[in-house]
Amino acid sequence: MFQAIFDGALREARRHPLHTALNILGLAVGVCVFLTLGLLVRYEYSYNASVPDADRIVRLDSHWSLAGTASYESAFTSFRAVPFLRDDFPEIENAVRIIPATLQVRREGQFTSFTSYQVDPTFFQVFGLRLIRGLPTNALSRPEGLVLSEGAAQRLFGKTDVIGHNIELVRDGQKTSHIVTGVLAQPAEPGVLSDAEILVPIPTEDINTRSCFQRWGSACGRIYLKLHNVTDISTIGAQLRDFVIHRASGADSDETSLGTHPEQEFSLSLVPLLQQHFYDITVRGGEEAADRNVVNSIGITGFLALMLACANAVNLATARAMLRAREVAVCKTLGASRRRLFIQFMGEALLTVATACLAGLALCEVLTPVVASLSGQAVTVRYGFVLLLWPLIVIGSGLASGIYPAVVLSRYRPAAILAATRMPSGGRMDARLRNALVVVQFAIAVTIVICTFVIDRQTAFIRNADRGYTMSGLLVGSAIPAKDLAIQHKMLDALQAVPGVKALTFGELGPNPPNQNKSTYKLVNSAEKVRVHLLFDRAGSEYFETYNPRLLAGRWFDPKYGQDEGPDNEALQKGTGNFNVVVNETAALRFGFTTPDAAVDKVISDQGLRATIIGVISDFRFVSPHEPVEPEIIYYNSLTRTPFDEPIPAVRFDNASSSEMVIHLNRAWASVLPDTPANFQSVDDRTLEFYQGDERRGRIFTLGAIAALLIACLGLYSLASFTAVRRTHEIGIRKTLGASARQIILLLLGDFLRPVLLACVIASPIAWFAMRSWLSGFDQRIVLGPIHFLTAISGALFIAAMTVLGQTLRVARSEPARALRAE
Amino acid sequence: MLIELTHIQRLYRSDEVETTALCDIELSVEAGEFVAIMGPSGCGKSTLLNILGTIDRPTSGSYRFGDDELTALNEASLAAFRRDHLGYIFQNFNLIDDLTIERNIELALVYRNMPKSLRQERVASAMDHVGIAHRARHYPSQLSGGQQQRAAIARAIAGEPRLILADEPTGNLDTENGAQVMDILQHLNDEGATIVMVTHSPSHADLAKRRVDMLDGRIVLSAGIAI
Ligand SMILES: Nc1ncnc2c1ncn2[C@@H]1O[C@H](COP(=O)(O)OP(=O)(O)OP(=O)(O)O)[C@@H](O)[C@H]1O
Ligand SMILES: [Mg+2]
Repeated sequence: MFQAIFDGALREARRHPLHTALNILGLAVGVCVFLTLGLLVRYEYSYNASVPDADRIVRLDSHWSLAGTASYESAFTSFRAVPFLRDDFPEIENAVRIIPATLQVRREGQFTSFTSYQVDPTFFQVFGLRLIRGLPTNALSRPEGLVLSEGAAQRLFGKTDVIGHNIELVRDGQKTSHIVTGVLAQPAEPGVLSDAEILVPIPTEDINTRSCFQRWGSACGRIYLKLHNVTDISTIGAQLRDFVIHRASGADSDETSLGTHPEQEFSLSLVPLLQQHFYDITVRGGEEAADRNVVNSIGITGFLALMLACANAVNLATARAMLRAREVAVCKTLGASRRRLFIQFMGEALLTVATACLAGLALCEVLTPVVASLSGQAVTVRYGFVLLLWPLIVIGSGLASGIYPAVVLSRYRPAAILAATRMPSGGRMDARLRNALVVVQFAIAVTIVICTFVIDRQTAFIRNADRGYTMSGLLVGSAIPAKDLAIQHKMLDALQAVPGVKALTFGELGPNPPNQNKSTYKLVNSAEKVRVHLLFDRAGSEYFETYNPRLLAGRWFDPKYGQDEGPDNEALQKGTGNFNVVVNETAALRFGFTTPDAAVDKVISDQGLRATIIGVISDFRFVSPHEPVEPEIIYYNSLTRTPFDEPIPAVRFDNASSSEMVIHLNRAWASVLPDTPANFQSVDDRTLEFYQGDERRGRIFTLGAIAALLIACLGLYSLASFTAVRRTHEIGIRKTLGASARQIILLLLGDFLRPVLLACVIASPIAWFAMRSWLSGFDQRIVLGPIHFLTAISGALFIAAMTVLGQTLRVARSEPARALRAE
Repeated sequence: MLIELTHIQRLYRSDEVETTALCDIELSVEAGEFVAIMGPSGCGKSTLLNILGTIDRPTSGSYRFGDDELTALNEASLAAFRRDHLGYIFQNFNLIDDLTIERNIELALVYRNMPKSLRQERVASAMDHVGIAHRARHYPSQLSGGQQQRAAIARAIAGEPRLILADEPTGNLDTENGAQVMDILQHLNDEGATIVMVTHSPSHADLAKRRVDMLDGRIVLSAGIAI
């Protein structure tokens, strides 16, 4: 039996090598894409799954609803909560505070940045991460202890056996000496802190002085809790409101509290570790997150690619069944049973599919590293997963592609076939089925193509969209850690001296700002009590020349006007004085002004501090395109009386290359602050993280779209070649009746492309809905217009037309007399 | 003279063998003539008809139709010639399986850009003429051989062509049906159509005005028959 099946499949392959090759290739591509994207999806879903006791680890998140801004959730929560939590909730087994930091290791005068976390010594009791060197119990118990990741150990020392080695760390210009006390094992699955290269204990000094340890209103890191039981998550969650009322309230004068009614603007919630990877997409300061919808869409794309390939197999198999009808009739006349024939055809289909799936598996090995680099995720081929899916794919697609032809073929009545000069009467039904499959295939492929095109346009758009300031010719450095007027002046002079510098300024905010301060202002002399929570910034001289903001109304600061000079730190803290300010467009709108002009000369106040709006500028997008730009207030600081708070230097240059400028600026910086890296970067590099995720996912979709279109075209091609053979005779007749070659070409192209066109009609609304919801996740977005659809559709149609053109021309050019003989 | 073939030759070359299907054919047909071609199987009758119908090209020689030298024309002009002047009845009918009888017949007119209403009128009258109107919406595979033959004739005459080429139009038919088909052809000839017909039946050949006998790719006898 098996021999017969094998022989049958081989004979078919020899008789129709092209069809067999197309069939196997299509299926192999489908299987490969399905497996590869499946691996990627599995990877995203496996986040944190390998952390021991992951189900009872939670993060404590803060929710803020402040005047004038949309409420938001932050993964950063004040560390003041931790001792109270331990007191109030016996369900908590352990807690750990984690502060993300970029630490520099200084070796031989060179700085190397490492993704680092300052953590409590309880870290290893909460997260049971494995150490390949050192002991979890005491690795972080000494203040000078330091845990390296395997990769970081290799980078620094070229080996992992590094316990006891010394490392000098630099953070914000402060040097500390450490001794390696542990080396983290490379985690099997991705997860929380899997990007960690260095773990160090939180310095005791920080615990005593930093405001995020003292004040409820300040946060600098995340709090993770390990509970005794999974059910404790809801128990604690239900009591958090009372906890906030009880523990975070205080007199209005109490700086550490959130006032008399903290629950009105602040609440806490628990986020289970296992949900974090998808949940954090909407959380500020969360872990590396992925949009679950996007991940699922990638999975669906892979599945659809497999479905497309199966549809191809069905299509080809039914087409070929036609050609084999006569063979079947003869076999039946010779006494073959229907059952036997069914098994024969089913067996052949399964054999073909199994061959294709093997090829697909091999392709998957090749494609996975490509997908890993495109997506920036460390995906690898997991055999446990692949070998689980593989037989399912073989059987599933084998049955799908084999069952219809097997049923139809084994059912043929021999007399009908042998009597009829040509096709059996089932032909028209089969043709309809084949066309329907092409419609479905192309509907899927075109949907993916349209979506990919829109994603591509949107990513290009946000990359190049106007961010309110001129990005080219601009370099931005690290925040200057010194709050010292003299040092800031020295830095200004040093940078100014670099040749090529056209304008130079300080600001407390910059592209991808490390810190943001806000406070609430109200509109003075207004009937309505408008209160807006404003982002605070101070701009230095030449700010306008450096960033080139667009002035929408009023004027920019001018040192000639005495009141333009902003408040010093004392005035800010006490909330006194009269100052001129510039606000952004969003702020003007939030205060209720219909035009920027209407905002000019109006006064807003924060307690005793009165700010007169002298100008309105267009919004600066310093934040991710997913986030809205917040209302902002800008004071002027000419650096005569008061220093900036950790200012970000920005330089506009010309007549020099960007890379040269970076070298010179970094050198100038080092002459003032040798222990802090300057890190001058273009705006693109500085904001890379905002755009990278979407671009990477866009690339995965492009891959999916190419695969889908390729498979669909393979299907169309084999269908066309089959149809061409079948229709040669008909075309001969048409030509005899006087049809010109042009008419024949149009007829055939029309017939081939009609299902594709129908598919486009079906695909458009589906793609429209999908993309509208995807785009709604962006604050800055393109308008979904007919142009996107028309471009993608005409592209798909063009490719489809090219696919069938060869066959069409061949048939249209055939000589009628010869064609009529081709019976 | 409507048709004038001089020194027509048709060779088939395959890998090794070379077949001479037609050799030095000289044939003239006047407008309004009814010519019967006879000869044993394989002597080149269908090949000659194909060349007359311009769906095959001679290897050498000249084919004049009216004032035109057809061997000099390109594909597009030949297609136009077939469309406008030719009706072809094949030995094996050559109906299109995917189209109903009605549509098959209409096909002869579609390429002439004739308005739909006129086309339907012509199709109806052609079907009446051969008596298959009741089978209009059937597919060819649902018809008997004789019915298919008559459908093929209806298609050939629907366009009211000047030249009708018929390759054994009665080959698949019984005596009675065969006689009917011959009646139709004679009637068309009376109305002015020129007919060239291949047949194995001497009695049917006798109904033509002239008879041409072929053997091994050559014309061996060309005799007018007095009525
Ligand atoms: N495409 C071809 N390739 C090679 N030889 C061919 C081809 N077509 C026809 N022939 C040969 O040309 C000769 C004439 O064939 P043709 O079909 O004209 O014969 P016929 O007189 O119509 O015969 P019948 O009465 O059986 O229909 C035959 O010997 C045939 O084998
Ligand atoms: Mg013949």
